[in-house]
Amino acid sequence: MQTIPLAAYQVLAAVLFTIGIVGVLVRRSALVIFMSIELMLNAVNLSFVAFSRQMGQMDGQIFVFFVMSVAAAEVAVGLAILVAIFRSRETANVDDVHLLKG
Amino acid sequence: MTEAILFSVFSVSAVCFAVNVIFRRNAVHCALHLVGVLLSVSGLFVLLNAQFIAAIQILVYAGAIMVLFLFVVMLLNVKGESPLLTPGAAKGFGFFFAVLAFVELLWIVLSGGGEGAAHPAAALPPGFGSPAEIGRILYSTWLFPFEVTSILLLIAVIGAVVLAKRKFA
Repeated sequence: MQTIPLAAYQVLAAVLFTIGIVGVLVRRSALVIFMSIELMLNAVNLSFVAFSRQMGQMDGQIFVFFVMSVAAAEVAVGLAILVAIFRSRETANVDDVHLLKG
Repeated sequence: MTEAILFSVFSVSAVCFAVNVIFRRNAVHCALHLVGVLLSVSGLFVLLNAQFIAAIQILVYAGAIMVLFLFVVMLLNVKGESPLLTPGAAKGFGFFFAVLAFVELLWIVLSGGGEGAAHPAAALPPGFGSPAEIGRILYSTWLFPFEVTSILLLIAVIGAVVLAKRKFA
């Protein structure tokens, strides 16, 4: 019934996750870093759903549901922090926000 | 056959959009390409018999969360970064560790990928992935985590309002 092997979905999830890692590590804009985090969360969600299909159990889909709500909370708080930083420092560049470096 | 074609279309478009997300200069373009990734992944969810999750992905992610992103991008009016990538050794280290992580993930997948991967796909129970079935599990087995999630969202909303208030600190 299912013709696509599980490994194909997992490799795709690995590729998307790696692209997200690259985005977080090499970009300087905090906004794009947030988007890369969303990319990684989506890769993990894809892996969850693929395993859920493979095992014939829906718990993986419930997990995706929870991951999405945590992601929504994370984005709301993260973007609020970003707005606060931008107000006080006029920048969204993570390399310019180094007050804690000493 | 159709499934294979749809899988290749969705996966190739997801990867292309994802590369665009991290290498575009304009943050609005990044956000719009991220919407493309989310739509492609929701197509893959449908292929995996997760219709409800696919609908939620489009409504919540591509709808609500990305609108929030675009709001903030346009509110902040961030100028294009120059240079685009973080300078110096940090960039090299970034790519190095990303490749390292990819090799590690690929090794895990190709060396068996855990207990479930060894077996052929299980037969699906009736109603798999339907809203009715998701609701039944969510409000029975996962009731307590579900309620805790509502508190988490409440905390996040209050936190966001407090942080983004104009007279902050």
